[in-house]
Amino acid sequence: MAKTGKKRNRRRVLGILALLFVLVGLYFALIEAPPDAYQGDVQRIMYVHIPSILTAYLSFFIVFIGSCLFLWKREKRDDILARSAAEIGVLFTSLTIIEGSIWGKPTWGVWWTWDARLTLTAILLLIFVGYLMLRSLIEDENRGAVCSAVVGVIGFLDIPLIHMSVYWWRTLHQPPSILRPDKMPWENVHPSMLIALAVNFAAFILLYFYLLSLRFRVGEMEEEVKTLKLYGGAS
Amino acid sequence: MSAWGFVFLAYGIVWFALLIYLFAVKRRFRKVQKELAQLSPAGDRLNQG
Repeated sequence: MAKTGKKRNRRRVLGILALLFVLVGLYFALIEAPPDAYQGDVQRIMYVHIPSILTAYLSFFIVFIGSCLFLWKREKRDDILARSAAEIGVLFTSLTIIEGSIWGKPTWGVWWTWDARLTLTAILLLIFVGYLMLRSLIEDENRGAVCSAVVGVIGFLDIPLIHMSVYWWRTLHQPPSILRPDKMPWENVHPSMLIALAVNFAAFILLYFYLLSLRFRVGEMEEEVKTLKLYGGAS
Repeated sequence: MSAWGFVFLAYGIVWFALLIYLFAVKRRFRKVQKELAQLSPAGDRLNQG
């Protein structure tokens, strides 16, 4: 009980910290950061677009780790972790695509184009939507978890492809601003913009871990309910 | 639409979606917590008492 209380307190602190960073991040993104020399104010979408996709990558990395551990040890906790991370990863990937589309209209003139990076990101979203749907399609719960874990591992392999797509193919999407092999972030982005991006990235990461801990606990409790119902806890 | 229009549209969608998801998970959390309390032995004792 004391352990649960401690965890709850830790989650509350994480939530407050996330909220604080979100507010500071909004201030930096919408007020403090200067407009881009070429794109003007519309470039401010970058402060949510990049943190969204990096958070989605992190989420699918956790799915990958959770899935590998589940396939190896067959522990329910790893499956719950992977499932929780996949759900939140799908949310952040969807948001990335929507933000990108809104950013694309004024800069490229189109809401969507079948560019390599955009298409691979859409495929990533479809893979993990499939990952979540697979559980409801397979009646045997354990088999469903194993099949999902395999999809989770394979799905993660799409991320290096997305990252490298702007180098391998001629794309409309610009090369990475932050994770570049040839330049450090501060050599590529002006410090005033980099600070705004860093604060927003921290806000997204804190919010992500808050959501993940909450969703993971829900998954754990749902398993407990299932077990209690199965073994007559209600009788 | 002006540049700020696109910016507010993007930010609005992001934070609205994240808030909706947060409330949905919190609601599910409360629901399953209640169910668990009813099913667990402590919950049974409370129900019997």
